[in-house]
Amino acid sequence: MVAALKEEIISMAEKAVNLALKRGADEAEIFVYEGLTAISAIERGQITKSSRIIDRGLAARVVKNKAVGFSYTNILENTAAVDETVLKSLKSAKASKPDRDWKGFPTKKPVANVKNTFDNAVYELSSEDLVQMASTMLESAEKTDKRVFPIEGGVGASYLSRTVVNSNGVECFDYGTMIECSLATVAQQSGEVTPVCFEFGAERLNKIDPEWIGKEAARLAASALKAKKTETKNTKVIFAQFALYELLSYTLMNAVNADYVQRNQSAFKGKIGEKVASENVTIYDNGLLEGGLRTWKFDGEGVPQQKTTIIEKGVLRNFIYDTYTANKEEKESTGNAFRAGYLSTPNIETTNFHFIPGKKSPEEMISGIDDGLLVYALQGAHSSNPASGEFSVVATPTWKIEKGRITNAVKGAMLAGNIFDLMKNISALANNERKTGSLVAPWILAENVKVIGK
Amino acid sequence: MKDTLSKVVDVAVQKFGAEYAEIRAQKLFKTMLTIKEERVEAAREGIENGAALRVLINGAWGFASVGSFNAEKLVNAVCDACKMAKAASLKLKTPIKLVEYKTFEDRVTAKPKKDPSKISIEEKLKTTLAIAETTLKHDKRVKSCTIDYLDLVGTSYFLNNEGTYIENDKLYVWSRILATAKEGDIFTFSREEIGSTAGYEIFDAETPEIVGERVAKRAVNQLKAKMPKGGTFPVVLGPNVVGVFVHEAFGHLAEADLTLSGSVLMDKLGKKIASEIVTIYDDGTVEGAFGSFKYDDEGVPTQKTLLVKDGVVVGLMHNRETAQKLKANPTGNSRAEDFRVEPLIRMRNTFMEPKEHSFEELIEKIKFGYYFKSFRGGQANIDGTFQVGIQEGYEIINGEIGEPVRNASISGNTLETLNKVDAVGKDFELWPGRCGKGQTAFVCDGGPHIRVREVIVGGGA
Repeated sequence: MVAALKEEIISMAEKAVNLALKRGADEAEIFVYEGLTAISAIERGQITKSSRIIDRGLAARVVKNKAVGFSYTNILENTAAVDETVLKSLKSAKASKPDRDWKGFPTKKPVANVKNTFDNAVYELSSEDLVQMASTMLESAEKTDKRVFPIEGGVGASYLSRTVVNSNGVECFDYGTMIECSLATVAQQSGEVTPVCFEFGAERLNKIDPEWIGKEAARLAASALKAKKTETKNTKVIFAQFALYELLSYTLMNAVNADYVQRNQSAFKGKIGEKVASENVTIYDNGLLEGGLRTWKFDGEGVPQQKTTIIEKGVLRNFIYDTYTANKEEKESTGNAFRAGYLSTPNIETTNFHFIPGKKSPEEMISGIDDGLLVYALQGAHSSNPASGEFSVVATPTWKIEKGRITNAVKGAMLAGNIFDLMKNISALANNERKTGSLVAPWILAENVKVIGK
Repeated sequence: MKDTLSKVVDVAVQKFGAEYAEIRAQKLFKTMLTIKEERVEAAREGIENGAALRVLINGAWGFASVGSFNAEKLVNAVCDACKMAKAASLKLKTPIKLVEYKTFEDRVTAKPKKDPSKISIEEKLKTTLAIAETTLKHDKRVKSCTIDYLDLVGTSYFLNNEGTYIENDKLYVWSRILATAKEGDIFTFSREEIGSTAGYEIFDAETPEIVGERVAKRAVNQLKAKMPKGGTFPVVLGPNVVGVFVHEAFGHLAEADLTLSGSVLMDKLGKKIASEIVTIYDDGTVEGAFGSFKYDDEGVPTQKTLLVKDGVVVGLMHNRETAQKLKANPTGNSRAEDFRVEPLIRMRNTFMEPKEHSFEELIEKIKFGYYFKSFRGGQANIDGTFQVGIQEGYEIINGEIGEPVRNASISGNTLETLNKVDAVGKDFELWPGRCGKGQTAFVCDGGPHIRVREVIVGGGA
């Protein structure tokens, strides 16, 4: 992989900003993205393909009379295509409607210091290296249990760079690496198929353990066999990280988003300083977390990322902002303008949404439960009501806990409730923190969750 | 274009000895709008040009994607793809083969009545702002309205080493409208989608007034809705919910890649899995529908594929690889979101065939149950567990529609549930949507109203 040079990208972006201003824009911002990815993929029990994806693009956001226009291109080879993109965004701005709340792009601030976001060892992984890692993971799964069939997965390594230049003097460049490893499995025995079980790891540095991921994915599937139905009642539920991430992504993470709050879509509106969760819950949105999957020096608008207290010992402290929503309340942006790439304008999203872990090991947490469920993943979390926080989902794969031990897998159990009630019913957090997308959290134990079984 | 692409594919065959090689080049132009309440967040336009190279060497796939049509870069990319295939083949156990198939040479042109690329941004803003206005003015309890609009026009060029060359115009018009209403501490949420491959004329049928009214009315009606009881109940499902049920609960299991991964349909071909009144199609030929197209991304013509006939599984959805493996014909279901990714088996327009009952007949014998009219999300699992969230539902009491319920969802086992379908209506609707399987695909789902003897209803807390 050969990445583009910082100086070349910045110079291209500066020229584009200047062109926009020269042609009559009041303000201009250029975002340049580069993503170089190599993947070794597993399908139905074997490594069947390798891919290399080169994705570069430039996005122009320009403002004319408080109306915002946006345009992008993935043709960066000639300046004509870039110039055309800038002019298109200006044309879009002129066609659009003024926004009286528009106060401008952010101004220049020193970018944040971040640690462990780039590893040359990841950058230099060859396709043969990735095939070897995928193979290690696959063999480890096969060795663990003969009833397990690895259906899908792989290993991917990426180099990413992001550049923001705007007409207020912001000029910043950051780059990093990411390595991901995942395996989805099912187990089959005498006509029974388990739900899909899944294990994964994602890191910025080259410290991923494919052997553990393979073994764990196989162990989960094998233990999901002989699933039984469970009864309908309110009970204790341990949410493992992936289940928690799915649930929060469509509920709590929206409720703390300033865009939702300002537009009357959040149940947290007007509740800063109030108790919204049990006392053992402290959450930071930490854009600077060492080695975090969403750790960068600056956000999608060039605002330095930061650590923001969201919930402190159960009390709601802050929402997350981009420049636009912050300006509306005469506040500072919290550096949460997120861009997935060059295809869209920035959106407010969490960076690393960090639940401070507790002291108990997962084993201790299980051993303290007389009757409950351990939920690894959810089906249908995206059908939650994002405004009210109400959810009604299938818990799968899931295991029954009785008298401090896991007894059997559970099938067909639904969980129904409201995320805001659930937050108040969190009675413990374990010490097994890990990174799952934008969530960094341990297992959490919630009391009194409604389970609909047979 | 053909000559350039042909030379690139030749490199894979002649220099690297590829068994199979294809190139899929795309020129895409997108317009996107986001409206929040009556504010235009941004008017956006973008160009995406690029090519996907896919080769089969020693029975393993190599794939490369590059955002360029530059001849030298394309040759570099195909070399990359070949090297990737060789690396992947190192640990291969069973070589991949493709089923033999006819070759085609064709040029498919879009013929919209209203070409979105010829309609100004001002006009598109007028339409979307009118939706927002109707939605917000419907009732003062409607607090927010978010509208996303997308149109995509362009051309896809497909060439493989077997002699197929297809130039295929792409045209999609899509919009999603979200509204929330609030009264006291109660929040409700409502969603509508519009989608067409015909043209901008979709807004002549789905006018801003009709769509805005539909989304706002639902959000407001839900304010007085109660929580459903959790448990097992008889239900009547509307076409919109039947569609997502057929798509999520059954359709994914019948995608041959997932069937081969061990889905519960694996050994069910030719067997009865549903009551005999159930017939299900996946059809890529419905004119103007959001899931329609002429050729798939392996150059195979689309078709109307019969999946379940009178309760018996008679077909699966295939690409050339799974068709070879299961000794079937490819069905034209191989689709890639864009040039950045490789094609996967995806659905098109998936629906249950209507039968003879009226809506009244479906509900009249239910003492207590639910009528679920419109869905909000759904998800299936390979073991046959499905979940469908409901955004509009009502109680059925003594054969009549009763009070609204909110935030319900239904779940169950697909095969058990298909066997419990005991009456199928005579009406029919097809609804546009987007399906996620790592990539996004534009699809339609639908059917008539149906009655199901029992499903699990996930109720409120």
